[in-house]
Amino acid sequence: MIGMTRRKDVVVVEDLQMVYRVSKVEVPALRGVDFSVKEGEFVAVIGPSGCGKSTLLHLIGGLLQPTSGRILIEGVSISSVSDFERTEIRRQRMGFVFQSYNLLNTLTARENIALAKRIQGNGHYEDGSARKILRMLGLENKMDHKPWELSGGEQQRVAIARAVINRPAILLADEPTGSLDSENSRMVLEMLRELNSVYGQTIIIITHDPEAAATADRVIEMRDGKILNRVQNMFYAMEEKRS
Amino acid sequence: MFKLILSNLRQRPTRTLVSVVAVALGVALLLVSMGLSYGQLVDTVRRAQGIGGDFILQPSEASVIFALNSGTIPVRVQKVIEEVEGVEAATPILAKFLGDQFHIVFGIDPESFGRVNSTLSFVEGGRFSEPREVIIDTIYANSKKMHAQDPLQILGNEFTVSGVYREGIGARVLLPLTTLQELNGTPDKATMFFIRAKEEVPLEQVYESLKERFENYKITKTAELQEIMMDNAPAFKEFVTAMVCISVTISFLIILLAMYSTITERTREIGILKSLGASKSYIIRLILNESLLICAAGVGLGFLSTFVVIELLMAAFPTLPVSISLFWRVTAAAMAVTGGTLGALYPAVKAAGMDPVKALGYQ
Repeated sequence: MIGMTRRKDVVVVEDLQMVYRVSKVEVPALRGVDFSVKEGEFVAVIGPSGCGKSTLLHLIGGLLQPTSGRILIEGVSISSVSDFERTEIRRQRMGFVFQSYNLLNTLTARENIALAKRIQGNGHYEDGSARKILRMLGLENKMDHKPWELSGGEQQRVAIARAVINRPAILLADEPTGSLDSENSRMVLEMLRELNSVYGQTIIIITHDPEAAATADRVIEMRDGKILNRVQNMFYAMEEKRS
Repeated sequence: MFKLILSNLRQRPTRTLVSVVAVALGVALLLVSMGLSYGQLVDTVRRAQGIGGDFILQPSEASVIFALNSGTIPVRVQKVIEEVEGVEAATPILAKFLGDQFHIVFGIDPESFGRVNSTLSFVEGGRFSEPREVIIDTIYANSKKMHAQDPLQILGNEFTVSGVYREGIGARVLLPLTTLQELNGTPDKATMFFIRAKEEVPLEQVYESLKERFENYKITKTAELQEIMMDNAPAFKEFVTAMVCISVTISFLIILLAMYSTITERTREIGILKSLGASKSYIIRLILNESLLICAAGVGLGFLSTFVVIELLMAAFPTLPVSISLFWRVTAAAMAVTGGTLGALYPAVKAAGMDPVKALGYQ
């Protein structure tokens, strides 16, 4: 965590509810979720399968629209803007890392990373800071490999590089170590930790892995679409405000 | 984006190749059919104009497609035509379509023909002087490997080639008018008259005089022959429309199928692009550009295969006239691109509208 006295809220989630409709059946996924994430924070969201963790991440990332409630990203309510504006926020302010890496198999590691930069509107990605990130992720010698020529750990590092290359305000990681062995998991978590501590990257990570959760500054525990340790998180927010 | 498109096309080489070949087929189909039909038409016009007349006089119900007419006008009408003010000369021509050889021969009167035409020149031999002599043009001679003094069968009769003239005048084979009248069973009759106006008299004035004198006949300005032929050739416009529609439809259906299966296969990829912040317009452009690239390759291959097909046809049938104008090349390319773009539009819009979460979870 970077040593700042007053940090602004990057993510604010207020009374978030999400109900999926499967034919005529309503399946609640989130039942009133409130929390906030400060700039430079590393937050882990844990809970059993089906508790609504991934839905929460997709909502924060603007990939889904909530049934009710509000999500503010750097003060902008992404739940009330147009699809076009939400896409713009996602493009400029967010980076995603997925369990299954989700690299484009037809492109090399370099091209996968460059694609994120191009979609954002920047032609060339190998500027100074980008090079530092690539070095930190140990990817310099793997840039011209296709995803299938890389190990799972290497693919995930490319995915992390792609997610952070645009210096997003928030990095959203959905089970980033879920498909990795313990050695690669440790490496990926170390890198996320380093991105957070060295570059002040705000990170929200969804995980089942207690070791991954332990890497975070704060843990939000979910069950049945609700936050279990809500009071603890509220105290945390108040502490932050006081400091 | 270009790299992504190229890598996607390379990733599925068979489908890409089949799509390119199908688009090329549409382009080649349009160009070859238009090339042959327009070639026939343009060549007929060029050779009719090569006779040198300013006007063609035919019976009122006659077609400008000469092969469709028989000999119905008395040859003596020539004198009446030449009496019209502003007329320099008129020559009767009897046209006969040889079904077995699939080409037309003209029976000409050498004396009056020479007064209307001033460009007939020989590369071998000379004009016919006997009833059983013919002259042939260079294309016919080359295709049949014939020379002056060679025998030639026409309508079951043996003729001798008295000369080979430079192509571009009338029919590929010219024979004495009286001989053809006899063989055709139409003595003293002609199919049409080619009329040359005096240089000092305005053509429009001669045209009006001819119309006034021959009000029950069809007078055609040779300069307007191509336009008139296109308007009057039976079902020509319908044929052109049908060929254009087939070409567009082939491109449309192939690209629709290719792009639709592409986006189904690449659902997850589209989800990834959306998670990276790709807008709807970016995804639409991605799919449309991919189809444009296929169409461009298809157009290129279509042009190439048209060239090959035409070369093969010309080698097999040297007298076959082919004319592929720039207009039809541009039209064929435009039709392929239009069909392809329309075909890609629905898959593109469908891809752009995908739910990113569902797309990311697609297996």
